[in-house]
Amino acid sequence: MFQLTELQHDALIELFNQGVGQAAAAMSQIVREEVTMSVPLITFQTRTEVAQALGGSQSRRICAVTQIYEGAFNTEAMLMFPEDKSLKIVQLMLGQTVTMEELSDMEQEAMSEIGNIILNSCMSTLANISKKELHGSLPVYRIGTSDQILGSVGTQWDGLVLTLKIDFNIEKHEIDGYVAFLLDMNALHDLQAYLEQYLSGIVS
Amino acid sequence: MSNAKTTTILVVDDSKVSRMLSRSFILHTHPDWIVEEAITGEDAVTKLATVAPDLILLDVNMPGMGGLAAIVKLREISPDVRICLMTANVQDATREKAHSLNVQFAEKPITQARIDHVMASLEQA
Repeated sequence: MFQLTELQHDALIELFNQGVGQAAAAMSQIVREEVTMSVPLITFQTRTEVAQALGGSQSRRICAVTQIYEGAFNTEAMLMFPEDKSLKIVQLMLGQTVTMEELSDMEQEAMSEIGNIILNSCMSTLANISKKELHGSLPVYRIGTSDQILGSVGTQWDGLVLTLKIDFNIEKHEIDGYVAFLLDMNALHDLQAYLEQYLSGIVS
Repeated sequence: MSNAKTTTILVVDDSKVSRMLSRSFILHTHPDWIVEEAITGEDAVTKLATVAPDLILLDVNMPGMGGLAAIVKLREISPDVRICLMTANVQDATREKAHSLNVQFAEKPITQARIDHVMASLEQA
């Protein structure tokens, strides 16, 4: 069974906290409102359990933007919002100058770009702290239940994944969403090495 | 930059929203400037046959050759053109590549302040 030491666990939370802090700042610039984010919650679950925890097949539909990152460690980064909030987010991004019809036409495209900015902001911070490069794929946009979203991205393999889940909130507009980073077992060993390198850098 | 010619900016980004925001923010401060658009690096290279921009605002992560590879191609056609990378990929590695390729670097999200900052550096040139 894969296990992080207490110090590695602490370092992982701290690194993602900094990444998410940058992502919140980027999100705030996009929607021109204050954005608050939770401390990352780490869980080891199967993909099916992750989907169930997010509501499973009974959940309200969510829109998700996914990017695969490869480099010091590999991860599948996901930004998720309730589907019924995505139009509001796009409206906040583009301001009042765009008609509702134009907004609807641009929704998918705009959400992909928002995902690209938020996820890159977080992953770039991790890369910069550790002085390692991470290569991100182009964003992929999907709508569905959490079962459909989790089943439709990455590998179909249902082994354990480490999930870092961060809730964020745009209070003024009652918009909740979350960012999740999924790492499979191979990636976990790379992540552990990455954390060790980071920690040894601090000590020295 | 010559005052005799209208300033032209070429915005290269696969995201329509990003192109729209860049255009809107540029024209907000400089309503008499011309903003041209390209959706990939390849498209930008083609555009240079008919457009002579004063500045190219260039995304990094795009389908096809991507922004960094596009810089080399764009410079083959227009060696002196000013280029500014405008990207969400704010890794030090990307900044260093921008520096080594002698191009400016600006972070996404695209805001009025960031566009104004990039355009101000063009006016000072």
